[in-house]
Amino acid sequence: MAAPSKATVLLKAVKKITVQFCPFESNVRSTREFLALVGSEKARSTNMNCEVIPVVKHDKSEPVVDVTYVDGERLVMKGGKLTCLEMLSAFQSRCSDKDPQTKAGANK
Amino acid sequence: MTYFLLKMTATLCATLLRSQGWLPLIQSVRHGSKAVTRHKKPVHILKQKLLAVTQYIPPGRAVAPGAYPSKIKHVLEDNGFTLLLKKDLKKVFEECKMIAVVQKNGSSAEEMVVLKHRLFKHGIRVKFFPNQVTRSFLSDSVYCNMAPLFIGPTVLFVSKEPKVKEMLSALKASPQMTLLGACIDNTLLSAQGIVGYSKLPSVTVIQGELVSGLTMLTSCTASMLQRHPAHLSALLQQYIKQQSLGDGVEAAPKAEEAT
Repeated sequence: MAAPSKATVLLKAVKKITVQFCPFESNVRSTREFLALVGSEKARSTNMNCEVIPVVKHDKSEPVVDVTYVDGERLVMKGGKLTCLEMLSAFQSRCSDKDPQTKAGANK
Repeated sequence: MTYFLLKMTATLCATLLRSQGWLPLIQSVRHGSKAVTRHKKPVHILKQKLLAVTQYIPPGRAVAPGAYPSKIKHVLEDNGFTLLLKKDLKKVFEECKMIAVVQKNGSSAEEMVVLKHRLFKHGIRVKFFPNQVTRSFLSDSVYCNMAPLFIGPTVLFVSKEPKVKEMLSALKASPQMTLLGACIDNTLLSAQGIVGYSKLPSVTVIQGELVSGLTMLTSCTASMLQRHPAHLSALLQQYIKQQSLGDGVEAAPKAEEAT
């Protein structure tokens, strides 16, 4: 699974990301890759206040990614049947929607 | 010179001979544009049409490409480096009692060095193996249930002695390392299992507790026997009376049920 070659992950509008999975299940590959991308140095350097919290469980539960934005909105992604690229594109589209708003607001 | 004259006669006599049905005397072959050019020569429209019409259309697939598994099993042989890594892995699994699998999400080189140093003080070494090699090795060995742990960026923490508390404290300091599972004393443990293992008291403490529990009863009997014999006989008589009373009580309800 190749990493997306587009721009880096921008976390400016994100307050907290909780990634919860059970490593012994077989459907966690995409969630783990998403965690690796979001928790990388480059991504974290875009926003030092954002927390990336991985939770490791062992109860055969579905892998879930819970994103809390700065303005209170929450994005919950159930990564069991999703690919990493789909999750990342959904996440980045919402981040970029919020980012230009804040940038435009600051400029005006 | 003669060639030039011949060409002249050919052109002059061309119309004459053609009208009478004769083939031309001289046919110049190498004349006009070249056949072999450095650029791609434009194809004549008629030839283009012909090629387009006679293009090869392969017969369609009866089955979609991924529908059935391939009959021939492609088994790639391991190259030398893979074999070396597998030997190393085997040695690691044989020597070390504790093998923990940790996912590292983008920690920088300095953080890794600091973490390695902290763990080395307690005798825990940080090892890195490619996932493919580890998975193929594990599928052959006894530890095949560990295989699903090795996805993405993973690092192995190995040590001869199971030093779980120190490892957990070192991992708490670096938030981007996620503990996935561990194989301690040939037992596969999850993250919660590892935390529970760290909270267990040491082996000597548990042995002491077990021994004290077992010897409690025997110590009671021993202290009783050491008392005065008259006291002991009185106690035994009392015990027999109680037993007989209990038997009598049981016999009465049974008689009532029978009648």
